[in-house]
Amino acid sequence: MDAELFLIRYLHVISGVMWIGILWYFNFVQIPSMPKIPDEQKPAIGKVIAPEALFWFRWGAFFTVFFGLALAWRSGYLVEAMTLQQPNIGIGMWLGLIMAFNVWFIIWPAQKIALGIVEADAALKPANARKAMLFSRTNTMLSIPMLASMISVQNPIM
Amino acid sequence: MAKILEDLKLTIIAGVVLTVVMIFVTEAIYDSQMSAPEAAAADMMQQVN
Repeated sequence: MDAELFLIRYLHVISGVMWIGILWYFNFVQIPSMPKIPDEQKPAIGKVIAPEALFWFRWGAFFTVFFGLALAWRSGYLVEAMTLQQPNIGIGMWLGLIMAFNVWFIIWPAQKIALGIVEADAALKPANARKAMLFSRTNTMLSIPMLASMISVQNPIM
Repeated sequence: MAKILEDLKLTIIAGVVLTVVMIFVTEAIYDSQMSAPEAAAADMMQQVN
């Protein structure tokens, strides 16, 4: 049981580092750098780096949630957390679920259009790029309390 | 809201503010779930500390 919980927690943390690491790369590095990159070099980001980063980003989100829910279930606090009877971890789990929903159902579909991964009217690209950016920023904002909530399970804040 | 999210610094500040709000909400939920004897014991422990 201890080894099983260790493995699930380890995979949860590794996936989470992948997810939030790439989220912060997008928001702290890529988005602010885009205006400084010459136009002829921009396709390197849009056609090569961003699609690759988005692959690891969305699957990192998926497996963070998957292993997080598995950890809560195997530890016996899934229902208590989700119903906020254990609010410290419960709020973090809800924030994580909202963020993962944003990744899979808003950011990724919008990025597919913005980056030309799927066929779409060119006029739709700017609006979808903005939508993806705003929801990515929303996730960056939510990641701060989410991580505080996760850590507070081991180290209570108050 | 979009104005905050367009600015990375404001986004981080909003995240910190949300964290503080979350801490107090968490405490409020814990307090609301405590029975009267548990609340009395918690008060006593706080006075001791």
